[in-house]
Amino acid sequence: MIEISPDIGFKKELKRISKSSLNECMQCGNCSVVCSLAPDDKPFPRKEMIWAGWGMKDKLIGNTDIWLCHQCGDCSTHCPRGIKPADVFSAIREISYQHYAKPKFLGKILNNPKWLPVAILIPVIIISLILFMAGTLQIPEGPVNYSKFFPHAWLNGSFAFLWFLTIGLGLIGLRNFRDDMKKQNPDVKPKGSFLKNLYSIRKEIILHTNFSSCSAQKTRRIAHFLVFYGFILLLFVTAFAIYAVITHNYPLGLTNPFKILGNVAAIMLFVGLGIMITNRIFNKKDFGNSTYTDWLFLISLFLLTISGVIVEAARFLNWQLAYHLYFFHLICVWFIIIYLPYTKFGHLLYRVVAMVYAASIERRLK
Amino acid sequence: MNKKIGVYICSGCEIGKSIDIEKLSQVASENNVTICKNHSSLCSVEGFDLINNDIENENLDRIVIAACSPRTKTEIFNFPENIILERTNLREQVAWCYEPDEEDTQMAAEDYLRMSITKVNNIEVPKPFIAENISSEILVVGGGITGITSAIEGAKAGYTIHLIEKEEKLGGWLNKLHKQIPYRAPYDTLINPEIKDRIKELGQYDNIKIYTSTTINRIDGQPGQFEVCLQNGKEEKITVGSIVTSMGWNPYDASKLSHLGYGKSNVLSNVEFEELVKNNPDKALPKNILFIQCAGSRDKDHLPYCSNFCCGTSLKQAKYIRDLSPESNVFIVYKDIRTLGLYEEFYKEVQKDDQIFFTKGEIEEITEGNNNLKVNVKDTLLGENISLSVDMIVLATGMVPAGTEDLNLNYRLGKGLPELKYNFSDSHFICFPYETRRTGIYAAGSLRAPMDIASSKEDATGAMLKAIQTIEATKRGEAVHPRSGDKSYPELYLDRCTDCKRCTEECPFGAYDENEKGTPLPNPNRCRRCGICVGSCPERVISFADYSINSVSAMIKSVEIPDEFEEKPRILVFVCENDAYPAMDMAGQKGLKYSPYIRVIPVRCIGSVNKVWISDALSQGFDGILQIGCKPGDDYQCHFIHGSELTETRGENIQETLETMMLEPERIKTEFVEITDYYKIPDIINNYVEEIELIGPNPFKDM
Amino acid sequence: MYKNQKPVLIIGGGMSGVTTAVEITEVGKEVILIEKNPYLGGNVVKFNSYFPKLCPPTCGLEINFRRIKQNSRIKYYTSTEVQKISGKKGDFKVKLKSAPQYVKNNCTACGKCFDVCPEERPDEFNYGFTKTKAIYLPHEMAFPYKFSIDDEYCKKESCNKCVEICEYNAIDLSAKEEVFNLEVSSVVIATGWKNYDASKIDNLNYSTSKNIITNVEFERFIASNGPGQNKLLRVSDNSEPKRIAFVQCAGSRDENHLPYCSAVCCSASLKHALTIQQLYPNSEVKIFYIDLRVAGRNEDFLVKVQDNKSIELVKGKVGKITETEANNLILEAEDILSGKKMKYEANMVVLATGIVPSGINLNLNKDQNNFISDLQSEGIFPVACSRKPMDVSSSVKDATAAALKAIQNN
Repeated sequence: MIEISPDIGFKKELKRISKSSLNECMQCGNCSVVCSLAPDDKPFPRKEMIWAGWGMKDKLIGNTDIWLCHQCGDCSTHCPRGIKPADVFSAIREISYQHYAKPKFLGKILNNPKWLPVAILIPVIIISLILFMAGTLQIPEGPVNYSKFFPHAWLNGSFAFLWFLTIGLGLIGLRNFRDDMKKQNPDVKPKGSFLKNLYSIRKEIILHTNFSSCSAQKTRRIAHFLVFYGFILLLFVTAFAIYAVITHNYPLGLTNPFKILGNVAAIMLFVGLGIMITNRIFNKKDFGNSTYTDWLFLISLFLLTISGVIVEAARFLNWQLAYHLYFFHLICVWFIIIYLPYTKFGHLLYRVVAMVYAASIERRLK
Repeated sequence: MNKKIGVYICSGCEIGKSIDIEKLSQVASENNVTICKNHSSLCSVEGFDLINNDIENENLDRIVIAACSPRTKTEIFNFPENIILERTNLREQVAWCYEPDEEDTQMAAEDYLRMSITKVNNIEVPKPFIAENISSEILVVGGGITGITSAIEGAKAGYTIHLIEKEEKLGGWLNKLHKQIPYRAPYDTLINPEIKDRIKELGQYDNIKIYTSTTINRIDGQPGQFEVCLQNGKEEKITVGSIVTSMGWNPYDASKLSHLGYGKSNVLSNVEFEELVKNNPDKALPKNILFIQCAGSRDKDHLPYCSNFCCGTSLKQAKYIRDLSPESNVFIVYKDIRTLGLYEEFYKEVQKDDQIFFTKGEIEEITEGNNNLKVNVKDTLLGENISLSVDMIVLATGMVPAGTEDLNLNYRLGKGLPELKYNFSDSHFICFPYETRRTGIYAAGSLRAPMDIASSKEDATGAMLKAIQTIEATKRGEAVHPRSGDKSYPELYLDRCTDCKRCTEECPFGAYDENEKGTPLPNPNRCRRCGICVGSCPERVISFADYSINSVSAMIKSVEIPDEFEEKPRILVFVCENDAYPAMDMAGQKGLKYSPYIRVIPVRCIGSVNKVWISDALSQGFDGILQIGCKPGDDYQCHFIHGSELTETRGENIQETLETMMLEPERIKTEFVEITDYYKIPDIINNYVEEIELIGPNPFKDM
Repeated sequence: MYKNQKPVLIIGGGMSGVTTAVEITEVGKEVILIEKNPYLGGNVVKFNSYFPKLCPPTCGLEINFRRIKQNSRIKYYTSTEVQKISGKKGDFKVKLKSAPQYVKNNCTACGKCFDVCPEERPDEFNYGFTKTKAIYLPHEMAFPYKFSIDDEYCKKESCNKCVEICEYNAIDLSAKEEVFNLEVSSVVIATGWKNYDASKIDNLNYSTSKNIITNVEFERFIASNGPGQNKLLRVSDNSEPKRIAFVQCAGSRDENHLPYCSAVCCSASLKHALTIQQLYPNSEVKIFYIDLRVAGRNEDFLVKVQDNKSIELVKGKVGKITETEANNLILEAEDILSGKKMKYEANMVVLATGIVPSGINLNLNKDQNNFISDLQSEGIFPVACSRKPMDVSSSVKDATAAALKAIQNN
């Protein structure tokens, strides 16, 4: 038995973000059937749609199924009432980033275009402050050497510190999320450890199998694959770079295998993001509504990639503007890395946690 | 008058190959006909001219065309009204279903020709019953939207309408409406109640006379001559030609719905809620309002049916609540949302509101809290039971037909219109929704079936057409549907009447009244010419000019019965001409073969078969009698409502007759078929013939 | 009684058009009824039965045809369509076109031509599931009761076999189409409906799976004069299906197809389910629905189905149908009330397709779904399914109402 008290504000927010109608749902269940992921028992998104229609925020935030959806859009394409459950789910996820954000204000400023200048200003100020403290807040003379602008120790130290901080904050959000999921399934006791369950879903994560069943948009899997692995590769290369700073002669030459790997990662990202952005612009019908959060994430990742490549080129070509570009690149890095739990990038964490939880209660996708 | 009979035998369509036409012609000459001719194609222009010239030159007044089924070529064989025309069905019922050139086939053809000649010898051209002083005015009973619409539509067609309403004010339930459902696009706005405009429109017609606070003391008479005695402080008499009844409906008694909270404070029926808002549109509405659909409807303990309007009404009420009260939440718990047809668009429009919440569900419990009502709902679409705290509950109660007893018909069979089910005055509602069992009196609106405003207005218009049609047909002395245009009517030789009252009881249309002795008082304009009274009368008192005890008896007696040593049994088959006869025709068309031992007599309704015909047939030497009629029962297909049902009940009576004649009960059998059952015809006939062959010949043969 | 002696034109000779025609003429006014098919009766004449009585439509039609036959005030033209309407209320001029009348009215329907005709055509009366000759009787109960020739399949004079065999000189293969003009006082549009094209609902695989039929096809399949002759047989192998599934709202209440509800399909499927149960008591029937829209007194009919243990009603729209190697069909739906996705393997599937207005090539006010609006210039009255989806009973009611509208102020 659940007490009904519709949260009209939440409902309106969902409609605003998703740009989808909600109320016309007649509970036919067509969406649950055409969804190739929804499990047989209590499939999504039909039940979520009536909860959304009834403004039942508590049922939707902290709902495992919301994160099991990979937003292929089959449900939206086939909805007889013209509703887009896929976009509604996406909107619920967006609201979830804010809901679990610690500190709250970061969730807020990163999901509202009004606050974008503030979101940009924070890294500008903090990076400038670090540079000021390092005493390098000026354009260095001579051939371009970014470590003259931002000494490696300061760079690695400060970014690593901030990143661990946000990951820590993110973990609190994730823990709350996990607790909410447990609360919503009081009758089921999760089995196995996090790692064991994570291991059990390795195939889905590594091979992106959940994308393969999507019929509405075939290119999505490739795009996500490229971006996902491009990004991981880049993280790996960056980690090596930090190591290389200590042990090697840094910066690395163009022929260095790690440099090559880094550039390959950049190309992967570039292609993957290109496909995603093109799809979102030119195929709205199949790819659904793109929210501010979608664009913020895509554009920042795209800018990160492109600025990274340009910064690299600027170094080799000794451009005058190299340090300005580098500064810009650092802001992009900040956006992606430090803001991770608060932007759409957070899906990396939330989705994995939800998938692991689903595995622990044996809620298997198709 | 001398009967001048012309017999025309067609040899086309395989008839000539199947039957010896020369031999058949001898039957005609043996029966003293004026002329007997044959032709290879009577339905050709030459064929028709042949007959028509003879009519003119020889003054024929009776024509027998022995050719195809009377259901075909009717537009060709169209002779002046003073000519009696009989069609002997040699094609579908002989040539096409029997082996050609066989003795039995020839015998069948000859018997059928004999029967036809006998028939025309024993019937007359019906002279229509045209009453004097037929009124072209129409009474409309009930001044709600149905009655008002009916009156306006009738007035537009030029008829004088008397519109009576028992309340002081016209308008009925519509007076109590705050808003109306849009019945055409755009569906996003509710429309203002139309009743004022409609009442104003009524005033534009000089030929509409309005009587408010008026009831009916008594209605006597028949179509064209209804004497209506009105009570309006004083008695007033008017004469009308026909009547539309639109007394409407009453809301289901919500006090029976205590399980849904009725009786608790702030629990209202939909009608009460509508009035509440209508009377106080500015009054603040509560924050949370719950609608419970099908409150006392679709429920075997209350109204078993769906009232058709409640889904739409709750959607409408939800919509105006939201228009009036932006803070309010509206919850709607339904069984199924039934917004049929284009109303789906209205449903969708109402759904668009952010604060109207729908779920299917069953109300489990309603408890009164401090300031609110707590409602537990199970079997919801939300995946679990829900609990709603609301400030008000609106029960979407259904409609109960008001009934027609207030017509106070001075009829032998009761004051009101007969009812089909759940007190709705309806009959053949699929093909003939205006079929009425009280000719000239048509039910419209929610009296007939549960319906909404738009539907009631359509119904009102249709019923008015039928009322007009009855007047015009009555002026011509013709029957109305289903025997439209039939000018015959029952004539009674009351000298022989024993006042047994069977005819007055069994007439499905209440055509007979009774005097205090019980003697029938016929009202020919009420009659639908089914002949059920002919079948009911044990004293053979009732006959039509072209359909009587005598004419059919004579036909039966004209059949030549072979003696028992010939081993050719004879079965008389009474076939209802509405469904069974066409089915036999189709069997013929399909070339289905069956026993040639049967002789078919078409009847107006299987309920018009008189016991006398059966005893005549048995005395004549028929070995068995088969009656084939339309399906009786709850889903009756009988075009005269209960003709075939009567055949079943009369069956017992007939069995007694058989016993007194020392005959086996199997010698009479009744079968019911649908018109599409043509493929069953051979089995029905052959099985019965076999059954009779096993029993053996009728001992009355050759006596 | 009528100032205006001109007849009323009724376009469409289905149940509604025929009703309007007889109702007007029985008041006393003249009527011209035109029908594009060579026979009257429209869609209903193809039906096996009506809900909720499960009675044959030809029963009522027989009465109505009898009313037409004996009424000289009614003139009807089959194989005829309207081309143009001009003028105004009380004084319309209409241009009509009749297809070539190869078989004349003196045809006796003796059937000899049928025996000699060498050409075959798909029988549209049976939705192409059977074949008939190029010269054919549309069906047993055809009114007018005469043969017809299919222009497309007949080889005309080069064959001439029917002309040679006909004893009544009833066939004229050189007949031409005829255009003629009439003056009428008012016009009733009873052009009726056709069912939604199920092949457009791609996830239901109607066009690729033989054992998926539509509800209107089902009516023919099961009819005594249909392809199955009172049997229900699968198209793929002529076997009797043991498990039959009905898919409600197949294309209806769906913005990708028909946004509206067609008002009849629920009751029709209940009727079909009961018909199957009568014929095959051991069969299993499942009906997948969104809402059960069985309005008014027809509720009894629903209760009758609910009481039948072999018929199961499942709330949930079928989202997908796939065919197995045995030509069975797997339907997928969410059983909403239990909240479980289910797959059901049926031997045969019936799609409850909705009503689409037949359309008429005249300049009339129509709504976005092509239904003819009841707001027309004076003297023109759309009726029944040409203006909104409705069942037979409501259509007849509407047709009777239109009869009055058409003779008012006349």
